[in-house]
Amino acid sequence: MPRVLEPQQTPSFFVRGPSPFTRLMFFSALSIALVATDARLHYLDEVRQGFIALTHPLQTIANAPSALLAKSAAYITTHTALVNTNLLLMQQAMSHAKDLQKLRLLESENRHLRDLLGASQSITEPARLGEILHAGRDPFSHKIMVNIGARQNIMPGQVVVDGKGVIGQVTRIYPFSSEVTLITDKELSVPVQIERNGLRAIAFGIGIDNSIDLPYLPVNVDIEIGDRLITSGIDGIYPAGLAVAEVISIDRHPEQSFAQIRAKPVAGVKNHRQVLLISIPVTGAAIGHIVNNTAKYADKTLKLQPALPKIPVQPAPSTPHANRQP
Amino acid sequence: MQTVSLKNIYLSLLLALILQLAPWQGFGLLIRPDFILLAVLYWLMRAPHLCNIGTAWLAGLIVDLISGGLFGQNALAYALTAFFAVSYQRRLALFNIWQQAAYVFVLLIFNQCVLMVLKLFAGEDVPQWTYFLPSVSGTLLWQLVIFSRIGTEPASSKN
Repeated sequence: MPRVLEPQQTPSFFVRGPSPFTRLMFFSALSIALVATDARLHYLDEVRQGFIALTHPLQTIANAPSALLAKSAAYITTHTALVNTNLLLMQQAMSHAKDLQKLRLLESENRHLRDLLGASQSITEPARLGEILHAGRDPFSHKIMVNIGARQNIMPGQVVVDGKGVIGQVTRIYPFSSEVTLITDKELSVPVQIERNGLRAIAFGIGIDNSIDLPYLPVNVDIEIGDRLITSGIDGIYPAGLAVAEVISIDRHPEQSFAQIRAKPVAGVKNHRQVLLISIPVTGAAIGHIVNNTAKYADKTLKLQPALPKIPVQPAPSTPHANRQP
Repeated sequence: MQTVSLKNIYLSLLLALILQLAPWQGFGLLIRPDFILLAVLYWLMRAPHLCNIGTAWLAGLIVDLISGGLFGQNALAYALTAFFAVSYQRRLALFNIWQQAAYVFVLLIFNQCVLMVLKLFAGEDVPQWTYFLPSVSGTLLWQLVIFSRIGTEPASSKN
């Protein structure tokens, strides 16, 4: 009899429901079942999307104070600060204009050469400007939330860049926002190429101290500190030529078969609020890739392809290059 | 003791949810206390007949939803923490304010440990020591609320 074992228990005429231990067992079993369902079967994505749409007004309320603060801070900038920024922007625009003219020439030349070679044309991808809402809530992962989502035809897999280089990739979409996994996250890898000699590699996030890793390269690999890594475009998702990172340390131990190479992302996530979401290039290879990776999004992707937003945004690939032109 | 209405509980949980949803960044994100768990713990100790393990589990599920992690991780951690909070709830009347704070600190750390173990199973890395800072800030917030006597004034004036 439980009454004998626990004489201090409340008499049963106080209605207290099942004992705490029973409740714990019930709810633990329920959560473990949920974890298993979510991890293995992916049934709950729609539930999550619906709930996030429901909490959207709450999110707006929660964002209101800081948004107001930011707005008022922007309102109370001094005249000098504005003039200085304006001057800086004008100078930047001037130098970019010079590079841009060169770029036009190079583009036409490139097209001509590709025609001669019979190679397929490189495409410029449309892009959308998004604003960072907040950092991810999970300290284990490097994620940010961006204020455009499924309603704006954002798709999982899109590449996110800022003015300097790649930030990450859209991994989950909600009706009004989307989740971007940063390239420093453990689960994201970027196919890269060393700008200096065209050596291809894959960069993996480490998850700590804002750097990425280049594993599986032999000890005698031709790589130097300060080498710039750009996307190779070989995967069909990342457009080629986007700046990704800069090599900061190389550890070559002769007894190990691989060199340990660390690189630091060039894009600054914490510096900007605006990011650019580049649409996935519409090629057979790209669609095949998405189908293989996330089969459940495949039909959605294919359906959405004709309705891609044709927004005349300057394709970001050129920007990092243009900056570095002498 | 003042009777606690269910409305109060859900309003405070909603407020905690809004605080949790606020755009925390940088250092703020690092030390952001777990508002929802604190609110749940408060009601678990104050009114276990209204707010029990089920409420904690539901709150955890909502945290899972907004944080974008695997479903059920936070729910399981919250349910376990709530179990310990409830099972020692009657002894809490004998504790003074500082002992209660220590107890809350232990519960918060326990919650984070459970969460860490679950995340390790899911293949994440061991986090840095700063991972446990929210428990410290959470306890500080708890003490702040207790000292400011929010919601306890009418009770004391009635008695």
